[in-house]
Amino acid sequence: MENASIIILFLFVLFTLLGTGVWVGLALMGVAWVGMELFTTRPVGDVMLTTIWSASSSWTLTALPMFIWMGEILYRTRLSEDMFRGLSPWMAPLPGGLVHTNIVGCTVFAAVSGSSAATLTTVGKMSIPELRKRNYPENMVIGTLAGAATLGLMIPPSLTLIVYGVTINESISKLFFAGILPGLILAAMFMAYVAIMSRVSTRWNPDAEPPLTFAQKVANSRFLLPVICLILLVIGSMYLGFATATEAAAFGVIGSLVLAASQGSLNWTTFTESLMGATRTSAMIALILAGAAFLSLSMGFTGLPRGLADLIAQWDLTRFELLIVLLVFYIILGCFLDGISSVVLTMAVVEPMIREAGIDLIWFGIFIVVVVEMAQITPPIGFNLFVLQGMTDHEMSYIAKAAIPMFLIMVLMVFVLIWFPEIATWLPENIRQR
Amino acid sequence: DGHAQKWDMPLAYSGSNFHSVTAAEFGKCVTTGTGGAIEITTHPSGSLFPGAQIKRAIQTGQVNIGERLLSGHQNENALFGFDSVPFLATSFDDADKLWQAAKAPLTELLQSQNLVLLYSVPWPPQGLYFRDEVNSVADMKGVKFRSYNNATSRLAELTGMLPVTIEAAEISQAFATGVADSMVSSGATGYDRKVWESLNYFYEVDAWLPRNYIMVNGDAWNGLDDSQKAVMRGCAELAEYAGTWRSKEYTGFTLAGLAAGGMTVAKASDTLKGELQEIGATMTAEWLEAAGAGGQAIVDAFKAE
Amino acid sequence: MTQIRRALDALYLAAGVMAALCLIAILGLIVLQMLARWTGEVFPGAPEYASYAMAAASFLAFANALNKGSHIRVSIVLNALSPGARRWLDAFCFAVGAAVMWYFVYYGYRFVYWSWKFKDVSQGQDRTLLWQPQSLMLAGAVILAIALTDNLVSLLFRGQNRIRRDTVDDAPSH
Ligand code: NA
Ligand code: NA
Repeated sequence: MENASIIILFLFVLFTLLGTGVWVGLALMGVAWVGMELFTTRPVGDVMLTTIWSASSSWTLTALPMFIWMGEILYRTRLSEDMFRGLSPWMAPLPGGLVHTNIVGCTVFAAVSGSSAATLTTVGKMSIPELRKRNYPENMVIGTLAGAATLGLMIPPSLTLIVYGVTINESISKLFFAGILPGLILAAMFMAYVAIMSRVSTRWNPDAEPPLTFAQKVANSRFLLPVICLILLVIGSMYLGFATATEAAAFGVIGSLVLAASQGSLNWTTFTESLMGATRTSAMIALILAGAAFLSLSMGFTGLPRGLADLIAQWDLTRFELLIVLLVFYIILGCFLDGISSVVLTMAVVEPMIREAGIDLIWFGIFIVVVVEMAQITPPIGFNLFVLQGMTDHEMSYIAKAAIPMFLIMVLMVFVLIWFPEIATWLPENIRQR
Repeated sequence: DGHAQKWDMPLAYSGSNFHSVTAAEFGKCVTTGTGGAIEITTHPSGSLFPGAQIKRAIQTGQVNIGERLLSGHQNENALFGFDSVPFLATSFDDADKLWQAAKAPLTELLQSQNLVLLYSVPWPPQGLYFRDEVNSVADMKGVKFRSYNNATSRLAELTGMLPVTIEAAEISQAFATGVADSMVSSGATGYDRKVWESLNYFYEVDAWLPRNYIMVNGDAWNGLDDSQKAVMRGCAELAEYAGTWRSKEYTGFTLAGLAAGGMTVAKASDTLKGELQEIGATMTAEWLEAAGAGGQAIVDAFKAE
Repeated sequence: MTQIRRALDALYLAAGVMAALCLIAILGLIVLQMLARWTGEVFPGAPEYASYAMAAASFLAFANALNKGSHIRVSIVLNALSPGARRWLDAFCFAVGAAVMWYFVYYGYRFVYWSWKFKDVSQGQDRTLLWQPQSLMLAGAVILAIALTDNLVSLLFRGQNRIRRDTVDDAPSH
């Protein structure tokens, strides 16, 4: 029953600190501290410093501020307007209209960046003001963005898949291939939801886009050229071997600076504003990451996640039951830990269960990614919720509520994966490796 | 006191890795042997501390026990790199001899850092991975070679390859996209990362056999009674034996795996071997310069056997 | 009094600017590393330097981000309260935050001190003495701890915290 008391205590402290309004990163540190002080005999302060130093001084983390900076620069150029001018003639006739740009934008940017925070800030910085201008329902704008940004984790390159692949020794390129189709299907499901809502919802009264002839539509598409060039530059640098996934972010920054300069929107003010904005946004995320790293270490010391996974291992479950139990388990864990931590903390116990049940580990990687994606938008600790709060000034409860449909779509996605496992396994098995 | 002590044991490698399996069995052995007085829980995959932090975490008592590849700490003291001098000890037997020669000085060095050495298990021998066929050092010229420390950079320099810094997390992608074309690593790394998707040749040059070390915090060790220390030592001896055996088994298994993946797995040609031995002599001399008399004593003892 | 005020505000701003320079440094380091690779040169330790700059960029910007309202908090309860009660709850938050950060600073000092004492050196090719980049983290933590305390004092004696959003561009929607 030691586990039960740990859980109750963690929850009590967590909800007290978060609920009263202590800054998220500092609240996580406080919770982690309480957990360690009470349940281990380790020197808590020293452990805290070792962990936070190691989590903060990370080479792979450097891609995050770079992509955020890129978003800040693009936001200050004409690019976002141009992108909308180019896209709107094509998206406007679709049921759901320009809200689809959120999803399409995230899907495309997901192929550029490996993290969902970077996808979210870059796309959101550009789309939120434009969609608000056109009077789209706020909850749809926020919700679709929160949901679609998680595609950054599934569509390659993906930090989550790298961590998973390294943890269980599976081929990272196979995992990358496995993520493509499910990522596109998930995006299509989000778009279908938007289309349906636009027909059912009474609050759906966006401003109409001016009607255009086909020739005008094509002519307007020229505005998309700069964005396409930028995306090709970043993706190309990666796949042609000029840059690693981390380094590609630097191409993004330089590319957008050049773009801004060529549009005449780069001056000292916009440069320093974009830089200071990026500095503060990445500091905000870094503080939460530092707290999350310490909390995840504290959980590791208490042995709680592993104990729960052990408990599941003892039940005698069929393959389907096991997957459903794991789904529930990771959803609950994902409410309180960031997804990657919950995977790393439990994989030692879960991996043998999966192998024993005869479940394909590449397929399970995609299953895990969907579950990790859910963790990004479930309260009280959901990364995309935090980032969106920073961007929009909405309360977290509002954002979390707006994201619930996306959460349910992801749950549906898990069942689609269970029913049609080929959507994850076909591509990696049929791509001829060099 | 009479209460059961819980010892957390951070490991850098995944739970299925043979080092982690060995460590987990060592933990069970200690728990059983001490009648549950010391309960060791392993935390694989760097889930507690990542590899680079583990030594300091043990030293400062953040955990009581842990495993670390000590050659990662060569910057701190060159002696830690004795097991990673290229082409000095190039077989399991040689590596064992070298280990016997280094055991006493290394134990002493660790003792001075508040660390008690329990046991050590070698990785499979390091071989050279290439995208294209290589028969001599001349063939290596200009090849983009993954370097991750001073020794691998120097190896690249001496063979005329271009060292490119690639972090461990990006290895697979770097090979797939051609950021790098070559690396030195054990067959196990290549097998785990499935590098045959990008690379085609593995040469068993058996350059060196790096080792993982299991260490205990000095104060925690002094807190044990004699019978508990004896149990630990006994389990450690068993683990070192079992781990080394697993390493040998795993070498054959992974090389077969690389071949099954479509790679050409071959012994290095005599030309290449000879040239690499020369480079090895140069690098041994350079290491001795850094490691001083302590290093010289190890090499002398190793060569005397 | 006004001099202390001005000094503190200058401190937060200076640290924020330092952090921004660290971001530029990261960009520069990544570009240099790529250039080195393309031209067959070596830039030993570039990833390590970038990672130190990452830590410094984060910690040095913490206080500036706090005062600009960039750090995320759950403010449902705060907003639901009367102004008087809100002030006390806000003070509680700053007190908890300051306590956490001063605790961090105390152990951070020990952490850096031991790195210095042990001559702890980077495991990468840069061979940096780790107390150097770690002190930048510590400096950022101290400045954040000061900023939290500054806000707490301000709340208790002036009735207001010092968080000022100056974001005209993303206008709040409520
Ligand atoms: Na991605
Ligand atoms: Na969550």
